[in-house]
Amino acid sequence: MFSYNLKLAVHSFKRAPSLYFLVVLTLSIGVGLLCANLALVSSMAGDPIPEKSDQLFHVSMNTWPTDQPDVEPFHILRYRDAMKIVESELPKNSAAFYASGVYARDAQSKSLKRFDSSVRATTPGFFALTNAPFAYGTGFAKSSGMEVVIGDELNKNIFAGKNSVGKTLELDGELLTIVGVLKPWTLRPLFYHATEGRAFNLTDDIYAPLETAIDLGWSIHAKSSSTDRYKSVSSTRDLNVFYLQAWVELENKTKQQAFQSYLDNYTQILKDAGDHPLDILNELRDVNDWLLQLKLVDQKILAFTLASILFLCVCIFNASSLLLSRFHSAKFEVGLRRAIGASNKQMLMQGITESVVLGVIAGIISLLLSWLFLKLSINFLPGLADIAVLEPRLLILGVLLALVTSVSSALYPLYRANRYTISAELK
Amino acid sequence: MNIKALFKSLLLRKFTTGLLILQLAITLGLLVNSAILAFDAKEKVLQSTGLDIENILVVSTHPTSGNYRDLDYFRSISSEDMVKLRQLPGVNSVSVINQLPISARGNHSNVYDLDNPEQENIDRYLKNVKDFHIEEHLIDTLGLTLLEGRFLNSGDQLDFGSKEKHNIVITESLKRALYGDQSALGQETNNGFIVGVINDIMLNPTIPSDKQYGIFSNTVMEYIFVARYYVINVEPGQMVNVRNKVSDTILAVQAERDIFEVFTMAERLKRFYRDDQGLADLFMLLCGLMLFVTAISSYAYSQFHISRQKKFIGIRRALGARKKDILLYVLTENWLVYGIGCILGILVSFGFNILLSQHIVLSKPDTLLFLLAIGIIFISGTLATWLPANSTSNIAPVVATKTV
Repeated sequence: MFSYNLKLAVHSFKRAPSLYFLVVLTLSIGVGLLCANLALVSSMAGDPIPEKSDQLFHVSMNTWPTDQPDVEPFHILRYRDAMKIVESELPKNSAAFYASGVYARDAQSKSLKRFDSSVRATTPGFFALTNAPFAYGTGFAKSSGMEVVIGDELNKNIFAGKNSVGKTLELDGELLTIVGVLKPWTLRPLFYHATEGRAFNLTDDIYAPLETAIDLGWSIHAKSSSTDRYKSVSSTRDLNVFYLQAWVELENKTKQQAFQSYLDNYTQILKDAGDHPLDILNELRDVNDWLLQLKLVDQKILAFTLASILFLCVCIFNASSLLLSRFHSAKFEVGLRRAIGASNKQMLMQGITESVVLGVIAGIISLLLSWLFLKLSINFLPGLADIAVLEPRLLILGVLLALVTSVSSALYPLYRANRYTISAELK
Repeated sequence: MNIKALFKSLLLRKFTTGLLILQLAITLGLLVNSAILAFDAKEKVLQSTGLDIENILVVSTHPTSGNYRDLDYFRSISSEDMVKLRQLPGVNSVSVINQLPISARGNHSNVYDLDNPEQENIDRYLKNVKDFHIEEHLIDTLGLTLLEGRFLNSGDQLDFGSKEKHNIVITESLKRALYGDQSALGQETNNGFIVGVINDIMLNPTIPSDKQYGIFSNTVMEYIFVARYYVINVEPGQMVNVRNKVSDTILAVQAERDIFEVFTMAERLKRFYRDDQGLADLFMLLCGLMLFVTAISSYAYSQFHISRQKKFIGIRRALGARKKDILLYVLTENWLVYGIGCILGILVSFGFNILLSQHIVLSKPDTLLFLLAIGIIFISGTLATWLPANSTSNIAPVVATKTV
């Protein structure tokens, strides 16, 4: 029966090719455009580390030294507060870090060409906490020492992608040894540093021990805030300079509560000593909660998504009225088939088969179009370049969406067609 | 022309008419709001910055070698860069600075008068005042206008490491926030003594124009490691020449530098609003597609209708209606549909405008835009129905005599 319906559908397409072409075209433009937008939204709202996003917590504290803070609590911490967090035994892993940048070259190379490299100056727990994928070597074990881990891209640039563990890099005039090299690593969003518009940056080029970076005075490349004047990062350890972000990995509720009280106790001691003018407010937010709070989804894209939903509606209306006129002109055929015994149900099945076939064709074309629209969006909004990715689940969503729209636009025309009286059509 | 009959005829095909009206309404809503976005984006790029943006060139650069950690070395290279840049033909003036106007981020400081520290709690913009590390030539390179006192000179640069208070110059709006209509000269703030007031320039486009607070101190040589930009004032008409030479000039002084970008202030302004422009362009693209789809619908609508009414039209012709009358009849019928669609579309426009304003900032629709959008819809709709309407008028009266 299905193959018979299929044959009838093909027959029907052949009788009015331009009309069906228009139906498929409008539906696939509508679906393609919406799909491209959903791809952008979904990659901006994605979970970058699903295996343990509910166990990783960003720490915000309220230790600003005056009673006039910019925000409460603050997402960046002073050195001494951050150290209190990483020295706790409660979390499975913890990390405190800041973003910096240096110029890097192979110390043995004759070339003086140096690569602009983003730096993550961090405590060693970072690698286990973020599940950083190592290609060669391991992370560094201490917060000090002249050792670094480098990312895949920098390794390709400087060492042509070979195992560079043991080699020496010259970073702003200092010599540091490579102990680990990462595999290509994408986090979308970059959950560990999603503030200051960095959420869709690439992962870093160089991971350096925190104390080493501070001693070398590698400058802070992200938000910092202070009530003390300072010239170099190397003098910030004892000052009220807020620039470190901290993350902890807590596997269950008990540990979360224990760590929360650990922080609360610490700040209570500060408060008792008169060093905590604001209310005690230590916030632990897990990855998704934290990213949600940062409102990473581009509002412009959301606005355009609204517009493309409206557009899809128009496309469905259009397809619907086109199909109606098609069914109307096929009245005679319908009447004839009813007269020689086709039941209402059979007619309906035939009509639905036809629209499913239309939907599949529209779905395939819409995938191509959504790829094209994504390219176009990057053209218009270059900031999206690293976000515009069509994931497999979106491809499936696209085809499903096309099927649904195609069937729904055929529903009313089919209903009408089935109400044509047999005798009237055969007059 | 019988309007009542027209309505009756429309009611005969409620479904298709309803769909078309809905489509027209949505199309109008989108057209109006896209036009708003486009005009808003244009307006933003054209707003006044207080700067001669076409003739100010900027070079952003950073040293790549560890030698520059010796700040005396860094200073000597920077000074040499500026000497060499000044020698280029067509260059009026050169300066070095830590951050640029027209930026939402940057280096900020809180500012209050020492006698009135509560100020910054009343006006929250005083907590985030743009803090510029400059040297004395900036007044010429940016073309600033002095309103009070004097600009910073070489004497305002203190000995490096000195704990003395700096002299500062502030912007006009900051002066108003701190001292109202009184003079600011000689007043002492937490950042130093005020020696001059300059006109407001666009420091941060995302905040109100009367909150463009900025302070300037002659400290860029002391903190030379923050000196990221050379600002060059170029004689009108010489931009291309100068632009082609700056990178080589700087690298000829010392090659171990990264030159990120060379751009004019006009380009910077445009870049700042790039995403607004991009969104407006995307909406325009959508408008084009929408008009296309709606035109197909209008075409299909009248075609379908005519195929059903062939016989009646034939009868009319037989009863003496001229071709012109039939054409007018079909077109009027469509115009009626467009009219209803546009009225509904005005509501959709407002609704869509409110919906969009939840996510982005945009102006409210105005009458002129509606007229424009309605005009576009009528024209494109009429074009789309012209073909079927024209063929209708060619229906021969003899059709009336056929029974089927």
